[in-house]
Amino acid sequence: MSGNPILSVRNLTKYYGGSRSFFDKTIPPVRAVAGVNFDIAPGEVLGLVGESGSGKSTVGRTVLRLHEPSSGRIVFDGAEITRISASRMRALRREMQIIFQDPFGSLNPRSRVEQIIGEAVDLTGPRSREERRQRVVKMLEQVSLTQEHLRRFPHEFSGGQRQRLSIARALAAQPRFIVADEPVAALDVSIQAQIMNLIAHLQRETNVAMLFISHDLGLVKFIADRVMVMYLGRIVEMASVESLYRRPRHPYTRALLASAPVVDPRTARARPRVLLQGEPPSPADPPSGCAFRTRCPFVLEACASRVPTLREVSSGHSHACIRDDIAAAAAVAATASPVQPEGI
Amino acid sequence: MNYFVRRAGTALATLFAVATLIFLTLHLVPGDPAEVLMTSGGMAPSREAIDALRISLGLDRPLWDQYLAYLARITSGDLGTSFQDHASISAEIIRRLPRTVELIVSAAVASVLIGMPAGILAALRRGSFWDGLLSSLASLGLSLPIFVTGTLMILVFSQTLRLVPAGGYADFTEDPLKHVVYLAMPAISISVGLIPVVFRMTRTSILEFLEREWVRTARAKGLTERSVLLRHVVRNSLSPVITVLGLHIGTLLGGTVLVEYVFNWPGLSGMLVQAVEQRDYPAVQGIVLVICILFVLINMGVDLLYGLLDPRVRAR
Amino acid sequence: MSKYSTQILAIGFLAVVIAVAILAPLLPIADPVAMDVLNRHAGFSARHWLGGDEFGRDTLSRIIFGARASLSVSMIAALLGGTVGVILGLIGGYFRGWLEILAMRPLDIILSFPPMLLALLTVALIGPGTETLTVLLAILFVPAYARVTYGEVLSVRTLEYVEAARALGHRSGRILFRTILPNVIGPILVQFSLVVASCILLESGLSFLGLGVVPPDSSWGVMIRGARPYMYQAPMQLVWPCVALILTIYSINRVCDLLRDRLDPKASVPTFQSPSRFRSLRNRPLRIDPPSIAEGKRLEVKDLVVEISTPGGVIRALDGVSLSVEPGQTVALVGESGSGKSMTGLAIMQLLPSRIGRIADGRVLYSPGDRDKAHTIDLSQVPAEKFRSYRGREIGMVFQEPMACLNPVYTIGFQLEEALLVQREMTRDCARRQAEEELRRVGIPDPARRLDEYPHQLSGGMRQRVAIAIALCGRPKLLIADEPTTALDVTVQAQILTLLDVIRKEQAIGMIFITHNLGVVAEVADRVVVMYCGQPVEQGTVDEIFYNPRHPYTRGLLASVPRDDESDDDSATQLISIPGAVPSPTALPPGCRFAPRCVHAVDDCNRGVPLIEAVNDGHEVRCIRWRDI
Repeated sequence: MSGNPILSVRNLTKYYGGSRSFFDKTIPPVRAVAGVNFDIAPGEVLGLVGESGSGKSTVGRTVLRLHEPSSGRIVFDGAEITRISASRMRALRREMQIIFQDPFGSLNPRSRVEQIIGEAVDLTGPRSREERRQRVVKMLEQVSLTQEHLRRFPHEFSGGQRQRLSIARALAAQPRFIVADEPVAALDVSIQAQIMNLIAHLQRETNVAMLFISHDLGLVKFIADRVMVMYLGRIVEMASVESLYRRPRHPYTRALLASAPVVDPRTARARPRVLLQGEPPSPADPPSGCAFRTRCPFVLEACASRVPTLREVSSGHSHACIRDDIAAAAAVAATASPVQPEGI
Repeated sequence: MNYFVRRAGTALATLFAVATLIFLTLHLVPGDPAEVLMTSGGMAPSREAIDALRISLGLDRPLWDQYLAYLARITSGDLGTSFQDHASISAEIIRRLPRTVELIVSAAVASVLIGMPAGILAALRRGSFWDGLLSSLASLGLSLPIFVTGTLMILVFSQTLRLVPAGGYADFTEDPLKHVVYLAMPAISISVGLIPVVFRMTRTSILEFLEREWVRTARAKGLTERSVLLRHVVRNSLSPVITVLGLHIGTLLGGTVLVEYVFNWPGLSGMLVQAVEQRDYPAVQGIVLVICILFVLINMGVDLLYGLLDPRVRAR
Repeated sequence: MSKYSTQILAIGFLAVVIAVAILAPLLPIADPVAMDVLNRHAGFSARHWLGGDEFGRDTLSRIIFGARASLSVSMIAALLGGTVGVILGLIGGYFRGWLEILAMRPLDIILSFPPMLLALLTVALIGPGTETLTVLLAILFVPAYARVTYGEVLSVRTLEYVEAARALGHRSGRILFRTILPNVIGPILVQFSLVVASCILLESGLSFLGLGVVPPDSSWGVMIRGARPYMYQAPMQLVWPCVALILTIYSINRVCDLLRDRLDPKASVPTFQSPSRFRSLRNRPLRIDPPSIAEGKRLEVKDLVVEISTPGGVIRALDGVSLSVEPGQTVALVGESGSGKSMTGLAIMQLLPSRIGRIADGRVLYSPGDRDKAHTIDLSQVPAEKFRSYRGREIGMVFQEPMACLNPVYTIGFQLEEALLVQREMTRDCARRQAEEELRRVGIPDPARRLDEYPHQLSGGMRQRVAIAIALCGRPKLLIADEPTTALDVTVQAQILTLLDVIRKEQAIGMIFITHNLGVVAEVADRVVVMYCGQPVEQGTVDEIFYNPRHPYTRGLLASVPRDDESDDDSATQLISIPGAVPSPTALPPGCRFAPRCVHAVDDCNRGVPLIEAVNDGHEVRCIRWRDI
């Protein structure tokens, strides 16, 4: 992790929609992402964790400018790409690719495998037909598919195989940065492990930088070097994997870690379930101040008045909470059971 | 309530657009409007006659002036006088409008009363002989042009079997029985095309809703099969049926033009065909405007009903 | 069979009509406008196969030339309108913003006229004629195409493969015509066939009124108009053009259905090829005396077999499922998609898909009370009408999708009261008060207000609480929870799991918890049944399954989950995964169903399905090699 970051995001904000109707101006825009900052070093895997509606997928799509950011700056490889023209952006697309969640929606049902992956191969420069085909076959072999699959359509594949195709397509362009947006969430458990191994293996092999988006803390821990936790459009905590999972500081991160079921009945019985009240507020009407205050067990009056900023509390570990006392207490009692359970 | 107010606002805007377009039609046609109006039956009208018409219709004034005058006129309910007999068009329309509405309403009601139960039956007995028979009949019904149905009905029931008169009209207050007899054939020939539409939509949506998770929940509650069906399947399928009816209102209104002509039913549409034949433009314009108003109002009614049936629509 | 044969006939008929219409001037038929007034209404003859009309013109020839007029007007109009409409729809749907308004809004004005009226208005000004008619019909049907295209593009443009095309840096034009258009062309072709039929209807209708194709040119509408006054003297002259018109439109409609089935399956009208495959098998021999249930059990499922009829044949969705539940106990059914875990729940509750699913063998023994211990019911034998009284009162069920399991058109209160009224026989007022109480029990704040709200006004977690309230309001003794937290976020999942736990303990409810999530199993289960391809492969107490798994599949599953506990944070670089994929239910392996994916498989594994063997008390495994592994 030395040198300049491959991707640098500053104060990224994205609003969606709002009513365009002449008669009704009452529908407010939805603030999906609110002032997000992060860097990704070349070859690094940055995990992004959050629940549905946290804005994690929006971050993934806006940094690639698949959705236009409302404000903020995106710097890729030292050059700002936030406002560059569509045609200049197109030239950069080869360098930044994406793997989607839905193995059934992410491949054009009317295209054959050769065309799906060939289109990505084409971005790396002109080739003869035969060279192109050989390159496609090579990509297929990398993801444990074979030459026989060239002429097939996506619907002839299983979910796991389709996800392999998505990965092959993303890597065929030889990118330097990949967004992986919940790449295994739609797959069965036994297939998930296959695909995670494949992604981890290829990432190490190609040394591509990756933003790995997931709601599953276990997957992120397996693949990522550093982790960010998002809640309602903001990053509430960012740290290295070891530090975050050992010493979570933000009350939300701790609740998230504590409510994720563990695959170990004895641990499950021994630890009290940390319960958060209620559900995340609507991103169309976020609370003032700290977004988490409506569900936080440690809320103070001050939490409502200002938005806590992300600040570094130890080397490489930052969080956005004004209460250092609970964070410190948590650090001390890291191995003991952290918080008392709330009511139902 | 917001939804209903908004929907009414949209209807009003649509009416305005329709009225404007009807006004503009005359001016969109290439050539001098007054000359266009006079050129009927291949006769070349004299210069003087054209000039006289231009002045009498105010076609010599600036367009926006004519437009404002037109809007003022129609909002006060004055649709002008006929080229043919200089009678008030509004008065004639008011006399004939209820007859057309009666035709549409009775055909629509009959279609729902026959189409929905048939659709429910076919869906519940899917794959059975009855399902096959009803579905085939529906395909046939959809392929019958409305004037062909009407004409063939006259051929069979009036000319050959001599059961009912070939067409005509009797006032309800004078002879209720005869009125219904005269109403039956035109209403049936409209229904023949509309029943299959209702039938198909009912069948499809019942089949779809039967598979929904809330139906499983309803069964898991221990409701009787009858309650599950009526409350959680048929009730939900009302919305799509209403929607498809709404989509077919345009065709239905067009259909009345042909049916009234075939059966000599003295409604609005019959008057329209006559006016077109005689190239009586003020009359055509007036009738089209009124039928369009009817169309917009029915569409609004359908949407309001839809909002009543589905709370999610109201929330939008 | 009949469906396809009529469609083939329809295509054949249309092909003949189109060919004859195109070739009409070259065919050896009479001049369609040559009059022969002396031979008015001539009958059939060698010269006039279908006779002659009111001016003595040859009817067959006029029908053929009529087809030429009708089809050319309709096809040209449908193509013209289609081209314009599809382009507008593509632009409006893909670009949104002001381009969308510019492309789509003006069309609404055309749509606010009934098509027939706009046609009449124009004819009144310009006069009738073939060209006028063609252009007019094209304009009339532009909105229909544009709307269909627009809707399809809207649903396709957010799909990930379109985003993937953008991520590859393709230009908008290329994405529109190469990526999107091929995926929306199906519904557009269906629309084309619909529009052709509508154009023929409108054309013939206007011609019938004397306002479309102008005599002496032939058109079916013109012919019917001409023959109408003479229907008494020459009825067949009226019938022939009617038949031609009906057959043509019928054929187009059939082709339209065919296109819909092939190209736009979601809009097609469902038909059923194989009606009642099971009818003769439905009632298996009734065994009057069910064996008594084992001591202390609430439910005992024995060797349950469920068959599902699919287009590919009858499959055994469940094949020998056995499990038991005690009061107050949670039994987790765990497995991947296609393992049969949900099917087991539905079979117990008699909610298998009607007509295509049935219990083919096995017993579902249930003991309702503590008073009369000997009383055992075989639920699989209970007739449907009687079974109703067990639902909600003896067995409750919660489903996966909290949005889909509540009816969107009724309030929460209505749906809860409905259950109360049928299960607890109370008055309406009483039910309303009780409903409020039930909502409070599942932790819904401000229950009185929630009663009047609709499902869409509640969050996912709240909806699932309502579903639980509905399932529990009859105070059942057994609860089947089918993936109740899968659609929820982890923090909300924890709330729902705790709620279920509390209620289960309070009322000693036996619970079957169906899930694919091993973490959730570890949290809630007392016993675990691991399912694979319709069979339990291992079952035992939760500790036995997690700490002493014997079946290679169970072991593989447990190993493949990345852990976030502290013990193994040497950051393994490789997850242990199960190779291959779940076999298709129509092509199951002959022996052990897991053998093809099993690293321990030997030849014997492919010889017959392994029997269940006991590892120790209460721990069973379906593997012949469990001792060696």
